[in-house]
Parts: sequence; C-alpha cells; structure tokens
Amino acid sequence: MSREEQLRKRAKELLAGKEVVMVLGYRAGRRPGTATPAFITRPEDADSLVFDDRCGANLAAYLPRVKHLGKIAVVAKGCDSRSIVTLLKEKQLDRNQLVILGVGCDGVKEQGRLSDSCATCAYPNPVVCDEMVGDKVAERESAADPLAEFEKLAPEERWQALAEEVSRCIRCYACRQVCPNCYCPTCFVDAGSPQWVGKTTAGSDNMMFHLMRAMHMAGRCVECGACSRGCPMGIDLMKFNRKVAKTVKDRFGAVAGLNPDEPPALAAFDPNDKQEFIR
Amino acid sequence: MTQRIVTAADLDKLVAGWAKSGAVYAPVEVKDWTEFRRIVSLAETDLTRVNTKLSARGLLFPHCETMFRFEASRPDKAQEADEPETQVVLGVRSCDAAGIAVLDKFFSGQGETDTYYQRRRDRTTLVGLSCHAPADTCFCSAVGGSPTGTRGLDLLLTDLGGRYLAEPLTDKGAALVKDMPEASASDLAKKAELADRAEAAITERIDTRKLKGLLDTADGNPIWEELSLPCVNCGACTFVCPTCHCFDITDETRKGKGARIRVWDTCQSCTYSQHASGHNPRLAPSARFRNRTMDKFRYTVDQVGEVSCVGCGRCIRECPAGIDICETVERLMLALVK
Repeated sequence: MSREEQLRKRAKELLAGKEVVMVLGYRAGRRPGTATPAFITRPEDADSLVFDDRCGANLAAYLPRVKHLGKIAVVAKGCDSRSIVTLLKEKQLDRNQLVILGVGCDGVKEQGRLSDSCATCAYPNPVVCDEMVGDKVAERESAADPLAEFEKLAPEERWQALAEEVSRCIRCYACRQVCPNCYCPTCFVDAGSPQWVGKTTAGSDNMMFHLMRAMHMAGRCVECGACSRGCPMGIDLMKFNRKVAKTVKDRFGAVAGLNPDEPPALAAFDPNDKQEFIR
Repeated sequence: MTQRIVTAADLDKLVAGWAKSGAVYAPVEVKDWTEFRRIVSLAETDLTRVNTKLSARGLLFPHCETMFRFEASRPDKAQEADEPETQVVLGVRSCDAAGIAVLDKFFSGQGETDTYYQRRRDRTTLVGLSCHAPADTCFCSAVGGSPTGTRGLDLLLTDLGGRYLAEPLTDKGAALVKDMPEASASDLAKKAELADRAEAAITERIDTRKLKGLLDTADGNPIWEELSLPCVNCGACTFVCPTCHCFDITDETRKGKGARIRVWDTCQSCTYSQHASGHNPRLAPSARFRNRTMDKFRYTVDQVGEVSCVGCGRCIRECPAGIDICETVERLMLALVK
C-alpha cells in the first residue's frame, strides 16, 4: 500500500470511528503541481488526501483556528511537527486533542525547485507523532550553511542586504498569516492606539515590521520556510529568521520545537545564560 | 484609426522620446519575475513575460500616496502634495488595462471623482501589449476579456516578431505613433492569427453571469465556511489584484511635522471592518473570505454593472494557501444551484 493509500485509509478509520472530527491534510489543487490544505470531516472525502512535494503549507498554522471543533488529526512533516511542539509549549494546543499523523518529507518544491528551507532541513521526519504514515525518510546531508554569505558581510552591508529584501514588501502579511507562531488576537502591527509601526511601505516602516516580527520569532521559529514560500513578493524572510534562530542556539543552546517539556528559550531564565551583552 | 507598424528600433527611439518629456514605466526583470519600473530605454525592459508581479494599478493608485503635508502647530496651513508627472505605461497586458477601466468606474464613474486617482489618470497614456502565450492561471476570456483586448488602452502593440502592429484606440494613443508607417493587410492578418492562437490557449471557463443571481441570496450559506477554511486571511490576493481599490488613511507625524497618507487596505484584514467602538461585524475569517468573492462577482455588479475580476490569475499564482478563484466559483455554483 502506498503512503497515500495508507494516509487515506487511516483518515477514513479515524473519522468513521469518530476518534477525530477532522483530518487536516492536503489535497491536489486545481492546477498541476499545486496542493492546498484539506479539512476532511467525512470518511468518504478522505480519498482526496495527497502527500508529496507540493505540500508546502505548515498545517500547524491552522490548528489554533480549528481546535474549537474537537479532536483533530493532522498530517505533519518534520517542520509541522516542530511547530506543533512550539504551540504545545506555549499552551496553544492540547496534546490530548490531537492525533499527529507523521510523514517523512524529502522537501517541498517551490516553482519546480527544492525550497531553500528544505535544502538545509535537519529534521525531515516528525519529532513527535502518534503514528507514522509510511516510512521515515533518510536524514539529508546538511547543505552549506545558508548564513555563511550573510555573516561574512560587514554590519552596514548586512543592513543593506536586509533593506533590499524588505523594500519589496507590500505589507500583505502573508508571512504572518501562514506562520504557526503568529496566533496573537491583535498583532503589534495592527495596533492603532498606540500605533507601533507605520502603515506605509516607505522609509523605515517595512524594516520595523520585519525586525519586530523576527524578534518575536526568537526561540520559536522552526525554520519551516512557509513565510518565504508564502511571500508573494519573493522576500527571503528566512534571512531574518535563520539569523535569529542561530543566535538563540549560540546564546541559550536552544533549538525550537524539539522538546515539549523544555520551556520556551526566551521565556525562561537560567543563571548560566551568557550575560556579557548586558554589561 | 490607422493601424501602424513600429519596428523595435523605432520603439526604442519612441521610448527615449517619451522619457524626455515625462516618466515611462515598463516591465523590467526583477529576480525571476517582472515589475513595472521607470525606464529611459527600451533595452531595460523585458516585454516577453506574461504578467508582471503586481498589476499596473499601482501606477495610478500607488500603494502609499501623500495627500497633503502639515505642521501640527499650524493646522490652517496644509500643503498640497506635488502634482504627479505625465507618464506612459508601456507593456500593459489587456487584463490589466481592463482592470484600469474598472478602476475608472470606482474612482470617477459614480458621480464623485477621486482627485488623487483622476489627476494621475489624466496624465497617463496606456500602451498595451497583446498576450501571445497566456499562463495556465490566465482566464481573461472567461470574464469578458481577451488576450488582445483593447479596453482601457490608448494604444495596443502586438509583437509580430521584431516589429509591432500599433493599433491606436484614442487620440492620445494615435499621437504616439503618428509618424510611423501604415500597417499592411498581411500585418493585420498575422495579428488576427496570433490573437486566435492566444485565445485558444485559454481553456479556463467560469460562468460568472449565473453566479451573480445565485450570490444575491447566498449570504448565510454554509458553503462559505467550507470554502474559506484554507484561507489564512492575508492580503496577497487583494494587493496583486488589478481591480481591488480599498485604502486606509493615516496621519504620519514626527516632531510636529506630518503628512496625511493613504495606503492600500485589504478586506482580508481584521482591522478593515473594525469599528471605533471595538465591534467588528466581519470578525470571522469566513466572512472576510466571503466578502472578497462577493465583491468581485456580486457587489460590484450592483455598483458599477460588471464583475471586478479581469482574469489575470495573479491571486491564484500568489495565494500562499493555494486557493484558486476559479475553483471557488465552480464550487459555489455547485453548492448554490442545488
């Protein structure tokens, strides 16, 4: 039985047995090479489920939005599972109300080529799941450090590189909306009183938005790359997020989304944390 | 009006001439797509791609536009923003030009005229470029357009291979190419052949005429909840859309000096419908999704007499959740006809 057949079979069983109210997975899009999140509630619809390299959306982002319905089964790649861990840590999800259907992932495609984030993915298999659908995939040889070029730059050049990326931003907030970490009822950028960030795409407004967003990702971003893939303007948002994730790892020895029992890196204090930046 | 022939060399000279007396915008390669950018020479352009990343709407209705400047200490002394330059926009696809014709109705066709839009529009000449190879996301002909449509344009160019057939549609357009030689019957035949081929390449069909009547009574239908589930309520579809025209007005003040600025807004944002009281009538994500679909195929039919989707396919291409407006329409039809 192929992985897809197994997935459909399990989805049918879970729904028919009323173990879950919904299976959150992917189905094929209308056009070749596309897939879209699927919200299956009837066993007979489970045959539309697919899983392959078109399935780039991080489904964890949808869990806070559908959790009120009841127990949900969710198809989770390595990155999705790490986002679920982050959400569990932050008390946004109840583990008992989830059935995690793990899938090994060989990386997702973006316009026909491997997504940048997938090229450097260290966790292609789910870090937490209730059952695997299909086999685990082989760990990938890690590609060259994607930050190497960026870190070689002088501070002004780094700023320039980031400024060039965000100059294309149209403030549609697709990056925020596809991100499992962005579940705040009111985002700082939407606050009007006081207004923290200007609404224009000119001057420093775009940079303020992206820097503040990157800071909010510290110790939480699992580097799934959904923001970069989702950006209609092709902004490499992972430039920000990778750098922040690396800094958190260097400073606090913490990698996001691996252990639900570990406190969030920036919400915990340890006397052994490096303190020299404060002096 | 007399159809003419413009060789690539002539177009190069024309562009250089236009650039001397005003701004010229055309598709320019950026990363692996094209965007409208200011040019001074034809060599900077890439006229071969099907659609620019963003539509041409931003050249008439900019993402951020200063309405006036002020000093907080002198509220009686507002200073008007600078008048816009004259501009020629080269390489506008027919779908985008049709989108501008729809924007014209919103901004100046309903009794009131939006000064900021209209003064740009009056100073703008739109030079279209026939579409020979539509993308798989294109469906202009399903919503009343055509890959070689002329609506909204001043002049339509059709690439006949190193030379362009130039069809003037307005006096402004005719003036741009008045010194060029007349086109021959074989040039016109070649264009007709290319137009037929492009038309045939678009296979997407959606029936938007019946849809309007069905949507009129579809407000509370549970199909909206189902259709909207994948939607993350970002504004990508609305910002890349050639006809979306909502804006927000904000005062930006620093150290006592400020400007009143209008910026693109999106009905997909929860702040869009937020009342001053805190009440939000469109808080549910499904209600926001419904609004955009209703707006495209129902509300604007009531307001300006036509659907406000021109079939450019940008929302399909850029949706981070893979939502396809053609599929949305198809599923709506199925659900509402019952």
